[in-house]
Amino acid sequence: MQRRELLKMAAAAGTASVLASRSAEPNAAAGPRMQIIDTNISLFQWPFRRLPLDELNDLVMKLRTLGITQAWAGSFEGVLHRDIAGVNQRLADACAGYPELTPIGSVNPQLPDWTEDLRRCIEQHHMPGVRLHPNYHQYALDDQNFARLLEIAARSNRLVQIAAAMEDTRTQHPSMRVPDVDLTPLTELMPRFPRAKVQILNYRPRKPLIESLAKTPGVYFDTARVDGTDGVPSLVQQVPQNRVMFGTHAPFLIPESALIRLHESSRLDADAFQRVLSRNANSALKPAKT
Amino acid sequence: MNPETVQLGLPTAERLKAYRIWDSYFTPSHSYPGRDGNSRLIAEIERALPAIQKAQFEKLCYFPHVGIGTTTDNDLEQLLRTQPQRILKPLKRWPKLLLGMIQLNPNNVHASLDALNRWLRDGPMLGVYFPGSGPGALTCTHRNFNPLVERIAELNGVIMQHNWFQTGGKTRAGQSTPAELAVLAARFPQQRFLCAHAGGEWQRGIRAVRDSPNILVETSGFDATAGFIEMAVRELGPERIVFGSHLPSRSLGTELGKVLGADISQDQRHAILGENYRRLLQPILRKSSDSTDR
Repeated sequence: MQRRELLKMAAAAGTASVLASRSAEPNAAAGPRMQIIDTNISLFQWPFRRLPLDELNDLVMKLRTLGITQAWAGSFEGVLHRDIAGVNQRLADACAGYPELTPIGSVNPQLPDWTEDLRRCIEQHHMPGVRLHPNYHQYALDDQNFARLLEIAARSNRLVQIAAAMEDTRTQHPSMRVPDVDLTPLTELMPRFPRAKVQILNYRPRKPLIESLAKTPGVYFDTARVDGTDGVPSLVQQVPQNRVMFGTHAPFLIPESALIRLHESSRLDADAFQRVLSRNANSALKPAKT
Repeated sequence: MNPETVQLGLPTAERLKAYRIWDSYFTPSHSYPGRDGNSRLIAEIERALPAIQKAQFEKLCYFPHVGIGTTTDNDLEQLLRTQPQRILKPLKRWPKLLLGMIQLNPNNVHASLDALNRWLRDGPMLGVYFPGSGPGALTCTHRNFNPLVERIAELNGVIMQHNWFQTGGKTRAGQSTPAELAVLAARFPQQRFLCAHAGGEWQRGIRAVRDSPNILVETSGFDATAGFIEMAVRELGPERIVFGSHLPSRSLGTELGKVLGADISQDQRHAILGENYRRLLQPILRKSSDSTDR
């Protein structure tokens, strides 16, 4: 194209009608109602800055606008707080007001009497799973308490979510630098607990580890930080078909982003698309609900 | 449901088209175009096409290597110098879609000045990209930048400077930060600069360039962290923000989602997604048009 033609295009006034109000871009109609399960949101406030959707009602309204019908909610408080029982009580109370929210409690197996926190998640709050932050809580996945937690969760048919990261290490607060979780020990640990289910959140797949994790029974993934225009379809191809679940990491990340990544490359077929959006998540929680 | 036609997370196709999206940071095979000068690059453009079409992009600007030492492949560098048609192949294949800005090598000022004449003065390239890694990387406060920026300014070229504020500090020689770009920009107040990735850690990046009115921030290159666009609009004004996609190594979801999901007005979204960049390009497009008339 000649520069003259480009210049005309560059100079042309915008033709779109505009709305005066501030808001996120309205989304296209989702078409026939479909089930979308977001397996990775967090409630309350991120410790290092305010987020546009960190008020619970705003977050739920956004999820509804996007057509997300269910969301598994952890708590940002679980990252740094040590009164975990209080964290989980507030989470359960908050989720009780919104039918689409499923509370996922926090457990820190480095704290004294952590098994009581786990027990309350299971027996008192009837949570279908718990979420761990091994990097912020400073233990490795070959820690014996983690193995014990996995054993209890498996026996109780509870899902264990491991947040491999919460934030890009390059942008973390300088006084709170936390490396991503080393997931390698899972490949040896998981076969010891055949009924265990672990979902890794916010993981950016890299070879060769993803190839080992793909062969490891009971390991699931979310899509929140799987980037590249065809990153999600590539992950779906690399691991067994029931292992990838939709997740947004909202409100830390913008939830629209995770939705768009599912379909932008047009490489997922309709069946795989539905599996990622909801069917795999439904299957993963089924034993805990029945 | 057909994933090819679904618009989850996106507005309607009509609305996307109305935005007239011009992408300032398209990075197919960004570091290495292939041994033959373009095959890997073209394959990566093709990989990005479904997303480009879905989002109704009007233009995308990529950053070709032109044989002045910005890669480590000496054979490729020689090939690009002697067969410039290889550099032009993507532009010829997608003439209505692609714009180009050459990767400069401030470690080789003489070759870079020659390249500016060859590719900006004579066309068809519209500006330059200063890399943050590879053999062409040099911290942008270095004196070598002065003659290059002077010449770029004479040619009305656009400057995209790669930079990051990385927690823990720089990890490679030749990297630049937004604070260093502000130093360079102060030397050339009439020249406008694009601060790639808003510095990565954007809370610091935005602050570092806030008092440099001739710096605009580009939006790609990091996770779709909520609040970025809102802070940039608040602190810089919407006229100083330019959309970039970083496709295909990053995603439409991550990069376009930042702007679509932000709590800003539709006017501001239009400015960020295309109007600001078109305004930035007008001087070099106008100059080229005038010279054609003569």
